[in-house]
Amino acid sequence: MNEPHQTSGPGGEAPPRVPVKIEEFCAALAMALICCITFANVLVRYFTNASFAFTEEFSIFLMVVLTLCGASAAFARDTHIRMTFLTDRLPSAAARKLEYVVLAAGALMFGVMAWYGYFLFRDDWDYQTTSPGIGIPQWIYTIWLPLLSAVIFLRIIGRAVRLVRGAHSGGQA
Amino acid sequence: MIAEGSLILFLGFAVLLAIGAPLAVALGVSGAVVIWLEGLGVMSVPTNAYTGIAKYPLLALPVFILAGMLFERAGVALRIVRLASAIVGKRRGAQGIVAILVCMLLGGMSGSGPADAAAVAMVMIPSMFRQGYPKPFSATLIAAAGSTAILIPPSVALIVYSVLVPSASVPALFAGGMIPGVLAGLALIVPTLLLSWKYGWGVQDGEETPPFWTSMKDAIWGLLAPVIILGGLRTGLFTPTEAAVIAVFYGFFVGVFIYRSLSLRDIYRVLVDSAEMSAVVMLIISLAGVFAHAGSTLGAFDAFAELLLGFVDNEAMMLVMVTILLLVAGMLLDAVSVFLIFLPILVPVMAAYHWDPVWFGIVMTMNLAIGQFTPPMAVNLMVTTRVAGVSIEATMRWAVWLALSMLAAVVLVMIFPQLALWLPHALGF
Repeated sequence: MNEPHQTSGPGGEAPPRVPVKIEEFCAALAMALICCITFANVLVRYFTNASFAFTEEFSIFLMVVLTLCGASAAFARDTHIRMTFLTDRLPSAAARKLEYVVLAAGALMFGVMAWYGYFLFRDDWDYQTTSPGIGIPQWIYTIWLPLLSAVIFLRIIGRAVRLVRGAHSGGQA
Repeated sequence: MIAEGSLILFLGFAVLLAIGAPLAVALGVSGAVVIWLEGLGVMSVPTNAYTGIAKYPLLALPVFILAGMLFERAGVALRIVRLASAIVGKRRGAQGIVAILVCMLLGGMSGSGPADAAAVAMVMIPSMFRQGYPKPFSATLIAAAGSTAILIPPSVALIVYSVLVPSASVPALFAGGMIPGVLAGLALIVPTLLLSWKYGWGVQDGEETPPFWTSMKDAIWGLLAPVIILGGLRTGLFTPTEAAVIAVFYGFFVGVFIYRSLSLRDIYRVLVDSAEMSAVVMLIISLAGVFAHAGSTLGAFDAFAELLLGFVDNEAMMLVMVTILLLVAGMLLDAVSVFLIFLPILVPVMAAYHWDPVWFGIVMTMNLAIGQFTPPMAVNLMVTTRVAGVSIEATMRWAVWLALSMLAAVVLVMIFPQLALWLPHALGF
């Protein structure tokens, strides 16, 4: 499903200046919490016959955080699943131009997600919606979609900047 | 302008994919652009991206990926290889069969092929080489055997199928994949034995066969993992997510206290890597939600399915066409991605012919498994050839035989649907 290469993308780009460790840590934490909550759920049900299935809602929220944080790290490292079968066979200048288009498409996607996601959050904030399971304000969940989409947006812009810089220094060398 | 919108949706997606956009971005952008052009309400973009992954059954996906990675890093593969070698000893083609069996067992612990294939390739390719197996063959064989991981439960691909086709439950699909998965693995044994006899692979290499009982004692901890996962699901005690979490804690226990191969730093690394790997898959699922919303609101998928149904009027022909479509798609993309792109179109086709959703899911997955080791974009093969240090082109002459043999297994399951449906029925799912 994934190629297990952890190094930087095509052309040996410079690593990002803001370390990816931050998103890595958040994604790993979300993963660990999902496991612990679900495990606790199994133990409690086994020993007491009670269930706290309402934690499902929180686990699902953690999964969304895990997805967006992990995806951000993967954008910074260029490890997303993509078909490079055709672009690998192009001359490098043309391939780089296409890469800019691809990055622009990515930036557009997460720009839209951040901007309109913000309105989703505002709805929950203004109408004081509470979550169906635990009963905490819903905006605590929905705020992360625009916030983390904005982080991904910045990661994509960051990769574009590194690519442009790499092209310039590569041209001189 | 339904037709125009549909055209932009499919064409935009194809172009973005072709120029190398990440699959998730290609799905999301083409969907979002159509939603905006057709005035379907742009707010539905973030809403569908969110609801696309905020589903309880999907929670099993990252956890099974974590479990598989924990077993892999704990060094389960090496110990199972030793046990399997102790059992089969040194005969013609024996190491080849060991490789197949080990891949299938590891498939019963993790839900996706490439990681298993890499682990087995690292352990087995050097020893197979010493016994006379050419490296390109070993790489192909392990890639092919590793592809059964998406059939043998737990399977990430089948979890995604269940999320998209809710009438097929995860336990039913897992049970349904069991016999076809084993069948696909056995199908590989036949060409392996024939080729080994023909070329005389499997000679003595002067190394001692590992002693049976010590190997057994070492490997038993790993071998118990599939028992725990499937047993938990079978008794109905756990949901798939809970079974995955139990597997994670078991893998943690084995790696830290029994094998003592995992340090705290390793554990953190496993959490990070598995989270990132899951995130890549789940982002595709999330943005495929945007694509699916645009397509279903416009009626693009139904229109496409109508077109297919009008084109072919015979059930068997349709099955052949779907098979060819999936084989080609499977050569270009991984199983989860193919499900997300093609299921919206194939579900109406499935409904039109009253195909059983569990059986259809298994047949689809088997076809996609073949694609995982067929060049040019074979995900498993890319991993194993890198480990073996051979080119993908060199594997071509071996891949053909293995692919044909596995295709025969697919045809069997197509003709006898009970191969996929008997176990889920017998277990009462």
